[in-house]
Amino acid sequence: MTLHSSRPDARTDLLHGTLDMLILRTLQWGPQHGYAIGQTIRAQSSDVLQVEAGSLYPALQRLAKKGWVTAKWGQTEANQRAKFYRLTPEGKKQLLREESRWTELVNAISRVMKPAPGSRE
Amino acid sequence: MAIVEWLRRLMRRRLDDEDLREEIRAHLAIDADERMADGADRRSAQLASLKDFGNVTLTIEAARRVWTPWWLDALHDRVGDVRYAIRALAKNPVFSLTVIGVLALGIGVNAAVFTMLKSIALSPIAGVERSAQLAVIFAETSTGRQLPISYPDYVYLRDHDRAFTGLFGSSVAKVGLGKGRSARQVWCELVTGNYFQLLGVRAERGRTLLPSDETAPGLDPVVVLSDGLWRRDFGADPDIIGKTVEINNELLTVVGVADPSFHGTTVVYDVDVFIPVMMAPQLGFKFGSQQTTPSGILADRGAAVFVPQGHLRPGTTIANAAASADMLWAAIARDRPLADAAERLRVVPFWQEPYGAPTVLLPTLGVLSAMGLLVLMIACANIAGLVLVRGLSRRGEIAVRLALGATRTRIVRLLVVENLVLAVPGALLGVLLAARGIPVLVGYAEGLAAPDRIFFNAGVDGLVIGFAVLVACASALAFGFVPALQSSRVDLVTVINEDASPRGAARGRMRAALVVAQVAVSLLLLVGAGLATRSVEAARRAYPGFDASHVTATAVDVRQNRYDQPRGRVFYRRLLDAARADPDTESATLAEFIPMGFLDTPVRRVSIEGYEPGRGEDLAFMSNTVGSDYFRTLRIPLLAGRAFEDRDDESALPIAVVNNTLAQRFWGGAAKAIGKRIRVTGAGDWRTVIGVAADVKYARINEAPRPYIYLPFLQWYRSSMVLHTRGPSAVDVLVEKARAHIASLDVDLPILYARPMAETTRGAFILFDLTAAMLFVFGLSGMALAAMGTYGLVSYVVKQSTHEIGIRMALGASGRSVVLAFLKRGLRLGAIGAAVGTVAALSASRLLASVVFGVSATDAVSFARALAIALGGVLVATIVPAWRAARTNPLSALRHQ
Repeated sequence: MTLHSSRPDARTDLLHGTLDMLILRTLQWGPQHGYAIGQTIRAQSSDVLQVEAGSLYPALQRLAKKGWVTAKWGQTEANQRAKFYRLTPEGKKQLLREESRWTELVNAISRVMKPAPGSRE
Repeated sequence: MAIVEWLRRLMRRRLDDEDLREEIRAHLAIDADERMADGADRRSAQLASLKDFGNVTLTIEAARRVWTPWWLDALHDRVGDVRYAIRALAKNPVFSLTVIGVLALGIGVNAAVFTMLKSIALSPIAGVERSAQLAVIFAETSTGRQLPISYPDYVYLRDHDRAFTGLFGSSVAKVGLGKGRSARQVWCELVTGNYFQLLGVRAERGRTLLPSDETAPGLDPVVVLSDGLWRRDFGADPDIIGKTVEINNELLTVVGVADPSFHGTTVVYDVDVFIPVMMAPQLGFKFGSQQTTPSGILADRGAAVFVPQGHLRPGTTIANAAASADMLWAAIARDRPLADAAERLRVVPFWQEPYGAPTVLLPTLGVLSAMGLLVLMIACANIAGLVLVRGLSRRGEIAVRLALGATRTRIVRLLVVENLVLAVPGALLGVLLAARGIPVLVGYAEGLAAPDRIFFNAGVDGLVIGFAVLVACASALAFGFVPALQSSRVDLVTVINEDASPRGAARGRMRAALVVAQVAVSLLLLVGAGLATRSVEAARRAYPGFDASHVTATAVDVRQNRYDQPRGRVFYRRLLDAARADPDTESATLAEFIPMGFLDTPVRRVSIEGYEPGRGEDLAFMSNTVGSDYFRTLRIPLLAGRAFEDRDDESALPIAVVNNTLAQRFWGGAAKAIGKRIRVTGAGDWRTVIGVAADVKYARINEAPRPYIYLPFLQWYRSSMVLHTRGPSAVDVLVEKARAHIASLDVDLPILYARPMAETTRGAFILFDLTAAMLFVFGLSGMALAAMGTYGLVSYVVKQSTHEIGIRMALGASGRSVVLAFLKRGLRLGAIGAAVGTVAALSASRLLASVVFGVSATDAVSFARALAIALGGVLVATIVPAWRAARTNPLSALRHQ
């Protein structure tokens, strides 16, 4: 991922990409419906990341369009109808790619923010 | 499995709206349930989850956008702009309709010119695809004289050439259709058997001509009729195939009717019958051949029959084809040498064919195109003015938009889209104008050409509409953009604080520039129109060297009733006797050609005794075969010697009369020419010059003087002659008498035409007339547009100055002085425009040379008239709004704010 893109929507791309990655990550443990995905991200980030429905559902459509997730209507444990999203094999590969890119990015940023002692000249 | 998945995804290229709504409902239900589980009551739980979810519609909208292709997304934006533009324009119908009207006029004029250009150069042959891509082969002498190609040479080229997909030949001629007095002349094309196949023209009925119709001379007496002739003359007879028609006294069997869209390949003439070239000898065509056997002309390399043409093979250029033709020509010259043969072959695109109408008409069309563009320029300046003025009155709106955060790009885009929205109806209306106008023009041309039938492929089609829309959009963009840019450059503070009375110097300069430009260009147009009109007047007044009043012209071709030469001579002898015996006849004579027929008659190579032609000098002149009394009947003065007399027959010394230009050029004077000898190729041995006649305009009124030779009919028999009679009676009476004389000698002989001679020379004026008529319309449109534009801009300035006028008048200025002040401003701009226009017109006068005759291209009268009209237009356009301003009540003007 390059940060020095000149495209005006590079920033939104970055945000979209991150949200997509979070959703894919959430689905790694099994199919979930939209509400649960939002709750999971929120819970796992200790309430820091609150995914709005207005971003979540378009993101799910985006992932479905790319073929990374498939959706199917089903029943929740509380016996309510809901649409469950499942990772496709393609989606799993994408998740791996996103993860490694993310790690790279985080490492790069942390190197800038907290340079390792001795690396300064 | 993967494929099924992929297919399913492909199918699901769109958002399932209902499914998403359902999903959102489920989301809300689960959320509400969880809240209720935490102890909330149902109602507040539902409200809270709804509030938490946010905007449902926006979410669905965003989800939908995920599935919309990017281009549809972009288009959606533009559609919004267009919709907004239409609403804004509908709110201001006067502005919108004015722009549409102005554009329609500008586009209409150009669409008309473009349609004519199309009919001459872009798709010259109706009913034939890619007709503009045809290429033609003709021969050229070492002196650059261009010649058609003989039939045997054509056959060699056709069989050996590899550059063309095929070569066909066609020679246009007039033939007599029918028998006796009911016969009349129609245009005929003598064509090779592959003509219809190579052109891709099909038969509507029966069959077209085929290569099997080109086997041997005289073997295939068949004919294909045009759809028009079949309907006009044969009542669309369904059983026409197999019937016989009489053409030049030969019975030909109708084998087919050509496709209705096809009118032959001559661009101008409406060809009605298509006959195999193998029938040419039977129908009496000789093409200058000296061989008299029926098959002679088809074997004679000296008989210039036609200009072969065809489509080049894909990937072949004109240059390739020319190189190939050169090689073939060398081979022909080696195998069958011919004295005086043309030096080389040339290959050119169809529109450059030396004998074709495009070559004659394109210079005139060039002038018309240029003038049409000027009208468009005025229209554009007009629109620019309108957009500018409208932009000023919209400053408020634009300022608010900018204040609300719209970017300047966005505002310019909106204004430009508005122009485009106006351009399309303007273009279509313009095309409609052209579609209405062209038939009028063509009808006018047809009237001038009558009784000859002409046809132009001048229909308004997709090409014309496309051209119009393109030009309209380009003009709307180009001339709407700058004003739009200016309008978007609004200073928020001034507009919001102040009233809307701008004093922008830049804007004032632009207004002034627009007025100057419109006056200048309209002056250019008016000068063009004035010169053309004066040229027509001059051409009509000009003396062509003969007197056509009280002279008749009645044409027959005795071959059309099977006369051989001895019987033909007797017929013409008796005809002259009968005509001269009539008490109404003052004098009567015969002639092969009528002067001023617009197109040149064939030239013959000439030798002058004792004169050695220089290198590159080509002695080939037009000639005419005439009877005794010819010069007296047409009142052509003899400058020296005598005219032909009845004693100058075959047994007498071979003689000729030459014109003054020839006598001056070779012998240095009319008197010195008498007794000198010349030889005309194809017309026997050396001839002694016995007389010198004054020069005549032989084809066109604007031709330069050229050598010309008269041969005596009694020594040089022609089967096709025109009887001229002169008498003091009304010319119509004389025409009827001429008809009667012929009928009394042979009631079955077709009379090709019988009419006053003055009518036969009309053809020479067609181009002048048409050009002048069109330029007149252009000039008028341009002037009207310029006046309108000036009026609009001046009234706007006046309106903006209402405040100023009010103050002036409150301070005691008279209405008169107010009017004068505005008039002074208007006329100053008008004068600058007129000066610019005059300079432009003077420097463009060379362009006008092809339409100007008899007046100088810098003719003072035309310039003075144009100046008067242009300045008069400015005067009126200025004085009316100024006068209205002066009548305003100072109080109300001051209260205006």
